[in-house]
Amino acid sequence: MAAKPIRLWLGTAVAIAFTLFVIVFGRATPREYPKRIPVRFWHRWQGDWEKQVKKIVDMYNRSQDRFEVVPVSLPGEGSDAKFILGVTGGDPPDLMSMGSGSVPNLAANGFLSDLGAMMTPPEKDQFFNHSYPAIRDIGMFRGKVYGMTIGADMMALYVNAQQLRDAGYDPDHFPKTLEEVEEMGMKLNQRDSKGNLTRLGFLLSDIGFVSHLFGGGFYVNEDGSLKLNTPENVRALESIVDYRKRIGLDNVIRFQAGLNDIEGAASWAFMHGDLSITYDGQWRVEELRKFKPDLDYRVYPVPPPKDGGVPLGGLVGGNYMVVPISARHKEGAWEFLKFWSGLDNPDRAATCYNVGGWLPYSPSVANSATFQRWLKNDKQFGAFLEILASPNCKAPPPIANLAFLNDLIAQAEDEAEQGSKSPKQALKELEQKFVKERDKRRALGYDE
Amino acid sequence: MARTRNHRAREYLVGYLFVSPWLIGFLAFTLWPFLQSIYLSFTRYNIVSPAKWVGGANYRMLLTEDPLFWHSAWVTIRFALVFVPLGIVIGVGLALLLNVEVKGMAIFRTIFYLPSIVPTVATSVLFIWILNPNIGLVNRMLELIGVKGPAWLKTAPWAAHSLVLMALWGVGGSMVIYLAGLKDIPQYLYEAATIDGANALRKLRHITLPMMTPVIFFNLIMGIIGAFQYFTQAYVMTPNGGPEQSTYFYSLYLYNRAWKYVDMGYASAMAWMLFLVIVITTALVFRTQRKWVHYGG
Repeated sequence: MAAKPIRLWLGTAVAIAFTLFVIVFGRATPREYPKRIPVRFWHRWQGDWEKQVKKIVDMYNRSQDRFEVVPVSLPGEGSDAKFILGVTGGDPPDLMSMGSGSVPNLAANGFLSDLGAMMTPPEKDQFFNHSYPAIRDIGMFRGKVYGMTIGADMMALYVNAQQLRDAGYDPDHFPKTLEEVEEMGMKLNQRDSKGNLTRLGFLLSDIGFVSHLFGGGFYVNEDGSLKLNTPENVRALESIVDYRKRIGLDNVIRFQAGLNDIEGAASWAFMHGDLSITYDGQWRVEELRKFKPDLDYRVYPVPPPKDGGVPLGGLVGGNYMVVPISARHKEGAWEFLKFWSGLDNPDRAATCYNVGGWLPYSPSVANSATFQRWLKNDKQFGAFLEILASPNCKAPPPIANLAFLNDLIAQAEDEAEQGSKSPKQALKELEQKFVKERDKRRALGYDE
Repeated sequence: MARTRNHRAREYLVGYLFVSPWLIGFLAFTLWPFLQSIYLSFTRYNIVSPAKWVGGANYRMLLTEDPLFWHSAWVTIRFALVFVPLGIVIGVGLALLLNVEVKGMAIFRTIFYLPSIVPTVATSVLFIWILNPNIGLVNRMLELIGVKGPAWLKTAPWAAHSLVLMALWGVGGSMVIYLAGLKDIPQYLYEAATIDGANALRKLRHITLPMMTPVIFFNLIMGIIGAFQYFTQAYVMTPNGGPEQSTYFYSLYLYNRAWKYVDMGYASAMAWMLFLVIVITTALVFRTQRKWVHYGG
């Protein structure tokens, strides 16, 4: 009989002790410099990347004694929703790194601060006149700067040099046309006895990027005219789909589903020889250096098609820093953003970009002594800088419903790749849907 | 008399004081947003700027100008039409099997119930691996019997089927309720049927199932509501609506409208359409209960 009350009291005591423990020790983001002004920085990097971001934050915190940047890593999925809730709930971060696709919509809806207003005249000159144009333009909306890159993303082809040699190719003489790479890829494919792919020679996807190689791109001009269902874009999508058909649609889907593709880890399929020539981003250079330093590989810009192709074409994207309209410590946020981006000191900022293998915002950072020194060890990174400096490298259209347009583009590509619609039909419907959505938004009073 | 009244009033007061934390929470965080969203559904609203009245434009656009609204509604209805009946049949079937008196039944019941308490996101991630077309458990097993399994989550017809399959994996929750319903059936009904010479099938048809109808009815209602609000699994397993938007559920589209396109007025209108559809469907099912639900226990 006496055991029951004892157990009850014991249970209650344990519950209270646990609650107290959580209250006392449960601080998610401990402060290292509690006397400084806190600058809360939300970002979406996880795994090994989170550690690299922490290094940059530590560098900044050591470099001055007024602010303390407190980084908080959010899962990428739903991070924009968390940001919106933070702003509207009165508890926003002071600075956030988000995907470039979200910037125009959040700017149009009044969530973001105009970064141009925080710049001094020399900084303005640096930013507006000396940035890589494509990188600068992504963060802009209706003439104002709402997002600044601290790590732009660019895509190119990673080539497994040994596999090319084994197939009788010279990895240092890469083809100049897309068609030649496709032929090379067909020879590099390997299959098991049942015909299933065991190694993928080459495959291209991402119509948003590839369309630029065909002289296209998905744009909404300022006068409202559209460049969506254009012959160039149709050709680009046809090229992607036709090549998949040559390999086998089902085979490609199955092979890709079996690949482990966690970023920031040693699991990329290219590292393990499952992909011979693969389309991927510049961040992989740093991953390869860390996790597979002995891999003999090259990086080349995706070559354009033989007919009507545009060399060094592409679409830039990536991580953009934004300052919420209701941020408490905008000054601290801006100081940290300058530190990382290099607006005030390109050479120092080069270290930040090098930590994660990111693309800098301007040639002044890329040409700095520190960046050039790093480039000597990561030579393959040069291909990305080459594309970035090209006039054919573009930014996505700065429109408020860019997220909707991006979803439509992804949907059209998916439908064409799955074979349920022809590329022509898919792009025709894309344009129709976009026009319908725009009309709808206009009817609801959106300024578009 | 006055003393009794005072005492009762004090009791009421104490009672309300005890429930007040919940009551305040309900009023502030459920009822108020609920009512507010009615107003917002008639506005253009992005949270940071004041809402602008647009009348019935959101509803008009939804019904006449938005193909995705109809598409996502159809994806959801199709899911509900397959999952809800299948969930009931499998749930009742399992409950019948687990109602048999054999040794170690508690272990079997636990095994079948466990999946329903695994967090949804964990289940989703697990199923992404199980249904992997190359290295997944399902296709590996199919391969053993010479069948080449489909590319489950990667192709249009199969992605939706995969989600149904996964939803059925969690049928243990309703199974427990069916099991409780089975335990509630008076034993004398079976004894009388045995005396009358009824076999097991007849007992199932004329005693078990009719006596189970209140529980089936409850699970039917809950299943319909759950199916119409289906979101997390689709969001985790097939982001962006899956192959050819075959898993672009209504709630997923609503979420995108609200948080991706920051179109809260439109999303509120969508939420109210969903609410109305659920209320009407539930009312219709309620109306049918007189014909098939037996409260004879």
